[in-house]
Amino acid sequence: MKADRANLVQSPDTLAQMMGITDTEIARRKEWLEFTEEDVQRIASISDFARQIQDEVIDGLYTHFLAFDEVRAFFKDSQILERVKALQKAYFIRLTQGSYDRAYVEERINIGSVHGRIGLDTKWYLGAYNFHMRAIARRIFVEFAGEPEKALEIFLSLVKLEFFDIGLALDTIFAQREHTIRQQQDAIRELSTPVLQVRDRLLILPIIGMIDTLRARQLTEQLLRSIRDTRARVVVMDITGVPAVDSRVANHLIQTVDASRLMGAIVIVTGLSAEVAQTLVTLGVDLSKLNTVGDLQGGIEQAERILGYRVIQTEVAAAPFAGA
Amino acid sequence: MAVPILKQGDILIATIQAALSDADLLALRDDLVNRVGRFRSRGVIVDVTVLDVMDSFAVRTLRGIAHMTKLRGAETVVVGIQPDVAFAMVELGLTLEGMEAALDLEEGLLLLQRRMSGGSERDR
Repeated sequence: MKADRANLVQSPDTLAQMMGITDTEIARRKEWLEFTEEDVQRIASISDFARQIQDEVIDGLYTHFLAFDEVRAFFKDSQILERVKALQKAYFIRLTQGSYDRAYVEERINIGSVHGRIGLDTKWYLGAYNFHMRAIARRIFVEFAGEPEKALEIFLSLVKLEFFDIGLALDTIFAQREHTIRQQQDAIRELSTPVLQVRDRLLILPIIGMIDTLRARQLTEQLLRSIRDTRARVVVMDITGVPAVDSRVANHLIQTVDASRLMGAIVIVTGLSAEVAQTLVTLGVDLSKLNTVGDLQGGIEQAERILGYRVIQTEVAAAPFAGA
Repeated sequence: MAVPILKQGDILIATIQAALSDADLLALRDDLVNRVGRFRSRGVIVDVTVLDVMDSFAVRTLRGIAHMTKLRGAETVVVGIQPDVAFAMVELGLTLEGMEAALDLEEGLLLLQRRMSGGSERDR
């Protein structure tokens, strides 16, 4: 059932498409590894041998794995362990079966995506491959003790193939992560920047996150509409939550301020950190058009002065739990 | 299409009724500059609420009106610039330097009254 759900979320087919894995790309990857028909035949020549040694290699691999707590956490259930072991053995045999075509690649991508999804660190993944290669190397050299050159060639062919697989699996994991990051970025962008009214004719616009051209445009349009709808005269724009302000971002801010001014509203920019101030001065950005105040509180106070509000402290309210 | 100009005390109010040709804009400018002198006005309001486009010529003419009336002793306030227009103007790098902008006619009148009573924006 778990697998079904996973397929719904992201089928390996679309993943392959997303990663741009076409038949040409598969051929390029093989070329890059100098993986040729000879390699395929060499590997095929040990398919019977692979069947003989599969149990001890995979069992050895898992004995090694289970010595590590972090990996053991993935196999709390002995059923899962048995199933994964069976899959590993099948993979080992599959390695020696030839036809490393599109279907084979999609299988690898599928495996990679499963590893990515369960959050297995790549170090364990690479370690497993390394262990696998070492275990096979020893056994091949024992099996072909009389012909060390042949043993070496077979082993090198296997190494190429396993690197081909590792490349696919890692690219899958990275592609998945990038996909997630993109989705999250979109989500952040879609979160509307709130324009809040704190007093009659006074708006605050807290900006959080990176400002790019698209976001600056959305933000400005929304602010202008709010100015018209609430008949605001002063806007306090707080950029404490903007991680970096360079000349591009500063220009966006200046545009927002200019556009607001055309609608008869004064904009006060607050929350420029020491770093931001330093960057802007070093870059030589001309902020003479901006009306800036240190923090949000100062900005609201100035806005209140412009609007003619005066805050008077009458008496200190009794603390709710005083004396209790 | 000529733009009607209303006199309200010390203030002249020009409300643009429809999209204007360049000639109409120039006629409006001349008309306003003349009347400022004739009525000894101290403020001018140009209401552009109906305009959904402001090109560089319109902006330049408005700026011209502001500077010329200033020389004859009247402040000019442009009122009613729509959000889309404001955004487009900024994108094109068009600004109303030398003149004030206000949200609408009411705000524009308030702004001018404050100016004429000698106070600045800050100490209302």
